[in-house]
Amino acid sequence: MAHSPLHISCQEVVELVSDYLEQALPADDAALLEQHLNFCDGCVWYVDQVRTTINVVGELRAEDVPEETKAKLMIAFRDWKRG
Amino acid sequence: MSSVTVTRDEADLVERLRGGDEAAFETLIESYSGLMLSVARSYVKTRAVAEEVLQDAWLAVLQGLERFEGRSSLKTWIISIVINIARTRGAREARTVPFASLAPEHQEAAVDPDRFRGAGDAFPGHWWAYPANWNERPEEVILGRETLEVVTTAIEQLPDAQRAVITMRDIAGCSPEEVCETLALTEGNQRVLLHRARSRVRAALERHLGGA
Repeated sequence: MAHSPLHISCQEVVELVSDYLEQALPADDAALLEQHLNFCDGCVWYVDQVRTTINVVGELRAEDVPEETKAKLMIAFRDWKRG
Repeated sequence: MSSVTVTRDEADLVERLRGGDEAAFETLIESYSGLMLSVARSYVKTRAVAEEVLQDAWLAVLQGLERFEGRSSLKTWIISIVINIARTRGAREARTVPFASLAPEHQEAAVDPDRFRGAGDAFPGHWWAYPANWNERPEEVILGRETLEVVTTAIEQLPDAQRAVITMRDIAGCSPEEVCETLALTEGNQRVLLHRARSRVRAALERHLGGA
């Protein structure tokens, strides 16, 4: 999309958010994005939604493992040890 | 970042495992099984199959331990084993292709283009209606059981390479370098795949939490 180098649109912002949060944006692009966020609540909320998404996905790591499975694995380890 | 190679502690742990130290193995399964189960869960349909994947993965870890050279961290190595086994078990196996050939496909918009003003508008590319402010949603909703199910389903439905990348980065907490190495991706492709995966999961969450 053509744009002036002095500002970027919301539609361009949404394509940069993940890299922005990764701190992987070139400094010029990061500056343009931050400038945009200064006057656009919609994009502030969008960035926040992506941040929330990352946090919610991170919650999936907390699966419980049943004791029974652990016990089976310890048996497998003893078998492995015996070769 | 030097997270790609094993730490001193991990090297010691691997030595103890090779020596058959049961306490070391117990520590290891307690540290990683929950994570491995979550990773498996994003590939297979049921919790029961995910548990089978977990057990198979641990057996593969034991079998591979002698050959583990510490070129990736122990965690990355273990997670890549889980992904390989889970992909093989997953019902969608028929349509998977090797990661190496999975550069990001055609263009894909993060947000439906219809939500932005068109070229003829006074403010082209700006929102018609702002996305919602999720900070106003109660935390019980944002982190509630239903929301987590929505996210699990959204990840299951991602294209294979996107799913592998978001799983390793945002579930398993691996570094970008570890993901590139394990999945044989360039840094740029890793970022594009992560961006697309996060965008699709965000969109699914937006449909669930209500919206624009």
